[in-house]
Amino acid sequence: MTALTYLSGPWRDEVEKRLKADLSPEKMNFISSSMSNIYTNCPDGKNHFLFFQFEAGIFKTVLTGTQEPPKAEFRITGDYQVFAKISRSELGSQKALMTGKLKLKGNMIKALKLASVADRINKVVATIDAQY
Amino acid sequence: MTQTDPYFINFPSRIQGIQEKMAAQNIDFYLGSRLRTLSWVSDVFCPWRSFVVIPAQGMPALFSFVIDAARIADETWIDEDHVFGFAPMGGQDQIEQIADYINDLARGKKVRIGIESGMSNYLPEGNITQYEYEKYSAAIANCELVNAHTIIDSLAMIKDEGTINRFKEASRIVDIGHEAVYDALKDGGWKGMTETEIGGLAGYAMRKAGSEFEWSFTGGNEIASGYRTGYTGGACTPATRRELHLGDPLMVDIHSMYKLGLGDHSHNYFIGGATDRQRWHADNFLKIVTQTLATYRAGISPCDLAEKMMDLAEAGGFSDYMVPGFEHGIGMMGDEWRIGLNDGPFPYWTNPEHIYQENEVLICAMQYACPEEEIGFRYENPIVLHQDRCEALSKFRLSVDDID
Repeated sequence: MTALTYLSGPWRDEVEKRLKADLSPEKMNFISSSMSNIYTNCPDGKNHFLFFQFEAGIFKTVLTGTQEPPKAEFRITGDYQVFAKISRSELGSQKALMTGKLKLKGNMIKALKLASVADRINKVVATIDAQY
Repeated sequence: MTQTDPYFINFPSRIQGIQEKMAAQNIDFYLGSRLRTLSWVSDVFCPWRSFVVIPAQGMPALFSFVIDAARIADETWIDEDHVFGFAPMGGQDQIEQIADYINDLARGKKVRIGIESGMSNYLPEGNITQYEYEKYSAAIANCELVNAHTIIDSLAMIKDEGTINRFKEASRIVDIGHEAVYDALKDGGWKGMTETEIGGLAGYAMRKAGSEFEWSFTGGNEIASGYRTGYTGGACTPATRRELHLGDPLMVDIHSMYKLGLGDHSHNYFIGGATDRQRWHADNFLKIVTQTLATYRAGISPCDLAEKMMDLAEAGGFSDYMVPGFEHGIGMMGDEWRIGLNDGPFPYWTNPEHIYQENEVLICAMQYACPEEEIGFRYENPIVLHQDRCEALSKFRLSVDDID
């Protein structure tokens, strides 16, 4: 399989396929939530987003795009290169938050329940051979 | 908690009262940081740095250190969507989180924000710091910060029925602590006992009876024995490892908390009986406490009362031993020290001309100290002021007991 362009349509399709296959509702702790990752300083000069929505632990929506993302319970903003490092497993998302490389908007109490789930999602995403 | 619960407090009504005063002062948001404000508004103990944001209308939002935020969300009446934890993470530190919250609601409009600034003898007061002031000023768009703590102070001054009932229950618990101390001291039980042990005995008995906290920042339960009872002008005695000795005076000043209502009562003893001179001091002390309790009522001022009581002490030949103050303020957890509003000749100290009103609660507090004879006594008791009298909430006997 050739490397997919990061944040492209085919890459999004692969992300959705692998998340649904690898993360059962049990592994997702049956959580219902949504999050938008907002990528700034992207190579094409635009801002991109990656949006996840899951209900009772089941992935309902995975979206990418350059327009305003759907409203989400959590909004995580950061530099494209920071997200790229997380997607390559070169940087942990929690470390990125704790060092201020990413900014989280949303209720921290609820976000704590999502921390391990977010790590699992990132690990699955990292299995995709992508071109950055 | 329902309205029929004796400890019920109508918190939405409190918020509405704040919002009405905010409107009168053209304040768009109230940013509370004092412990007293957090207790009075949210009905939950916030031991870590916390803030409450009260908008012009609707539900307040509570922000605390993330390690305690879930517990606070569980205990407060405020719904969980309005309780937030802050943490050292991007976008989640207290300045950015609260500024974002206000900016989102303000939608670019110029806003006037009430803050809590000032000074206090009470270390955990929680006034906004200079750093916080500067950072909030910079992070909240188009804002003007104005000092507005009088809004809360004026609303919290007169206690409602639920608050008074919480104080009554805290005092009932304090009395259980005093009984436990007395039972432990009597019949030679005092031998080998230390001040810290007495503090712990009282604490255990009060906790068993439902107290949440020996709330005073002065070391929890204040126990003083021997010469430590007689510090000049002293009214702060964290317990030490000092062992009791025959002939010691002993001061037992213990604190309980019930639903953020505070118990605070001090009782005094002689270990192994008193000399005639010691008993003379004790009788002076009991006389002035009795007279003070008989004098407190609505319509008088701290100054009036102090003058009368110091005249009594002078006539009795013991004014040299009296600390000339007879009260300190009290409210839900975090509200300690100043009486009334910040309107006296010395900013942030009690106004000596403050006129007491019905249903104010204060701690009737007196310290008698004779350092040269290594003897002293303390009286503290929450009192509710009525039109023609005061109601002492601790019912423990007023005496200086001889312990065999």
